[in-house]
Amino acid sequence: MKQSALLDHPFGARYAAALPAADAARQDARETLALEGLPGPKREEWRFTPLRGLAKIPFIPAASADDIDVCDLPADVPRFTDAHRIVLVNGVYRADLSDTASETGLTVTEAKTPDHGVDAPLAVLNAAYMSGGVTISVRGVVAKPVHLVSIGAAGAEPAAFHPRLAIAVAPAAKLTILETHHGLPGQPYFSNPVTTISVGTAGVLRRYVLVREDSEAFHLATTVADVAADAKFDAFHLGLGGALVRQEISVDFVGEGAAVRLNGAYALMGRAHHDFTTFMNHDMPNCTSSQVFKGVVDGESRGVYQGRVLVARHAQKTDGQQLHKALFLSRGPQIDCKPELEIYADDVKCAHGATTGELDPDHLFYLAARGIDPQAARLLLVQGFLADALENVDDAVVRDILSGEISGWLMRKASA
Amino acid sequence: MAAKQETAAAVRSVEQYKYGFVTDIESEKAPKGLSEDIIRFISAKKNEPEWMLEWRLKAYRYWLALGDEEPKWAKLNYPKIDYQDSYYYAAPKQKLASMDEVDPKLLETYKKLGIPLAEQAVLAGVAVDAVFDSVSVATTYKKKLEEMGVIFKPISEAVHSHPELVKKYLGSVVPYTDNFFAALNSAVFTDGSFVYIPKGLRCPMELSTYFRINEKNTGQFERTLIIADEGAYVSYLEGCTAPQRDENQLHAAVVELITLDDAEIKYSTVQNWYPGDAEGKGGIYNFVTKRGACRGKNSKIMWTQVETGSAITWKYPSCILQGDNSVGEFYSVAITNNHQQADTGTKMIHLGANTRSKIISKGISAGKADNTYRGLVRIGPRADGARNYTQCDSLLIGDKCGAHTVPYIESRNPTAQTEHEATTSKISEDQLFYCQQRGMTEEEAVSLIVNGFCREVLQTLPMEFAVEAQKLVGISLEGSVG
Repeated sequence: MKQSALLDHPFGARYAAALPAADAARQDARETLALEGLPGPKREEWRFTPLRGLAKIPFIPAASADDIDVCDLPADVPRFTDAHRIVLVNGVYRADLSDTASETGLTVTEAKTPDHGVDAPLAVLNAAYMSGGVTISVRGVVAKPVHLVSIGAAGAEPAAFHPRLAIAVAPAAKLTILETHHGLPGQPYFSNPVTTISVGTAGVLRRYVLVREDSEAFHLATTVADVAADAKFDAFHLGLGGALVRQEISVDFVGEGAAVRLNGAYALMGRAHHDFTTFMNHDMPNCTSSQVFKGVVDGESRGVYQGRVLVARHAQKTDGQQLHKALFLSRGPQIDCKPELEIYADDVKCAHGATTGELDPDHLFYLAARGIDPQAARLLLVQGFLADALENVDDAVVRDILSGEISGWLMRKASA
Repeated sequence: MAAKQETAAAVRSVEQYKYGFVTDIESEKAPKGLSEDIIRFISAKKNEPEWMLEWRLKAYRYWLALGDEEPKWAKLNYPKIDYQDSYYYAAPKQKLASMDEVDPKLLETYKKLGIPLAEQAVLAGVAVDAVFDSVSVATTYKKKLEEMGVIFKPISEAVHSHPELVKKYLGSVVPYTDNFFAALNSAVFTDGSFVYIPKGLRCPMELSTYFRINEKNTGQFERTLIIADEGAYVSYLEGCTAPQRDENQLHAAVVELITLDDAEIKYSTVQNWYPGDAEGKGGIYNFVTKRGACRGKNSKIMWTQVETGSAITWKYPSCILQGDNSVGEFYSVAITNNHQQADTGTKMIHLGANTRSKIISKGISAGKADNTYRGLVRIGPRADGARNYTQCDSLLIGDKCGAHTVPYIESRNPTAQTEHEATTSKISEDQLFYCQQRGMTEEEAVSLIVNGFCREVLQTLPMEFAVEAQKLVGISLEGSVG
């Protein structure tokens, strides 16, 4: 009768055997993984995002597959001109595809070991098999943004990779980074990145993330961020596809007066599953966090938002806001939403809101009355709904890129 | 058989006691602990038919198989409950036919608690089915209601007089497999109310049961079943008080509501059981499963609760909206002070087309208390045009308490609309200053402001309850400021 909280998964001895011997950090993580496994549906944080499908696929480490050859950026990767470009293929840094002209204050190095312990179950899996990644350190103001491109590809067998990204923004330093995640069609691949972020006192980090994986791909990303006093962390995540995508972002407030904006949007069709899981750990007074997430779902897709805001007893004057709005485009999708507040301080302003529904018939009528055909009217309204979320993206170039991505999604939907 | 006799002998040997505020009337008790024998004993005491006993035993076996699997997901912290250290049966000895026969001492207790039973029945026009410990001792207005076809009686009597209704509906909304506490209740429930409103009848008076925990160490396991047949309407009030004592008392009630086509049930609760003292010692553990099924088209179930008592509250009055156009509403005020913990909310399960639900929850947390709203709104794929509106507001008084909101929204229908809003705030200095400047004490000011905060919920209560509830709000927050 009892269901296990753990899943049997393919990341055991067979998987490890395909890799060279592990160092101490990885060995530690492998032992934890053997004990704790991957979370099953009984685990509260994973109830909306079952990993059964993932656990059934006999992945091999992408690093051990010798039949994968990516020698150029796929054509559909957005070109961010006038930016440093860092390219990872299956989680491994590719100097030949990257383009990081030296700029004072910006240091990019290859990551070698998973030296930052992150507790989330997928981060343990990452630490156990971490095979590459980059560390980006910033001092002073880096004028040129960074574009990090991740390409996933499997050969004849399904492949998995577990990169580490670290972004360290020194006190008063400033960086804008755009991460875009793509993949090649074929056998399913599983991208399991862990990103650790630290924003120093009065530092500013703008991080924009686009996940447009192949429709058969898995992408389970874990981000943990430490935000120091008076620092600003401004993030926008856009999810446009993948068989199973989860973007889990957790923010620790480690200094007073920090401000975090964590916004996002998703647009799903087919059988895509997208999950935003966020955690705002308000452990310092006078900090603000604001979250706005918007999503549209079509086909048989499933959109998930679960956000938790924790305000510690001493974190007075916290301002924590959460909003999730979801729009159905057809019969068949599912929306699950759980905005959670856990508050122990009394002098705070915390609120959340959540809505689900379909396009307003009045709006459709308005457009129809002006001679716009229903199909075009629907696309227009959906675009408007998502464009609204993009308002939160401060960087104009990035906003254009993301806006183009949304248009691309709408075209694919229209032609599907 | 031998075991049964032993049990009966043990029952006889359990002595009466005098204990402070506890009324001293002779009562029969089963020995401590829980076993199949105890369940057979309870069933035999009630002279129950075989099918009822079978059902209890099935529930007990299921409960046993759950082992220690109490639900752990709630934000509650309490010492482990030893289920073998409780009495599962205690009943006043004689059954009484009318109010006149009620033990004056019992009436005295009610007076102490501010429930003038007879007076209330006469003055307020309320038929009262008073539950003292686990067995109903007095039922008033029975005749008048009977003439109209209303069945309002202890469930233990209904098992005999209307077995077909009990068989059909008991456990149909909350099966014994529903959860740990529902299984426990199904196995050992001693009594509760049974209400059936016949087709097309608007019950002319509010039906009311006052629950009261009395025996020391007696878990209360009430079972309430209310059925509103086609086109019927009933308003049911439930109020609870308990005398002060030191030991934690377990309470695991089950309430099932069923509305058929065009029927409506309004169920109101004021719960002010002993919350424990200022240090968090004692108090009632309240694990309640309340659920209504809107089976019929255009039917409606409305829950209103004012929860101010108990050390632990675990309670989610819910609606399953099966019939097309059916409506579920949930209005809640939960006040926690000192060391109280409340994890309460609702579930609205939309299955039928054009079903509507509304959730208004006001949580007030003071002292060192924790107050959690936990709710689920689920829209099924066939619930075309369903509509939900949820509003949860939390108020924090002092910086040692906690207020939490955990809503789940799961929608599988594009034409459905759900809205959820939640806010957290505190009483502003300005509001307090304004009131105090006009001569109110700080406590009066807090009571006034909090009453304003809860107004939307309190005004859905029937008149008699609303007055009591407003006073309660003030009393519950005594000592929370200054």
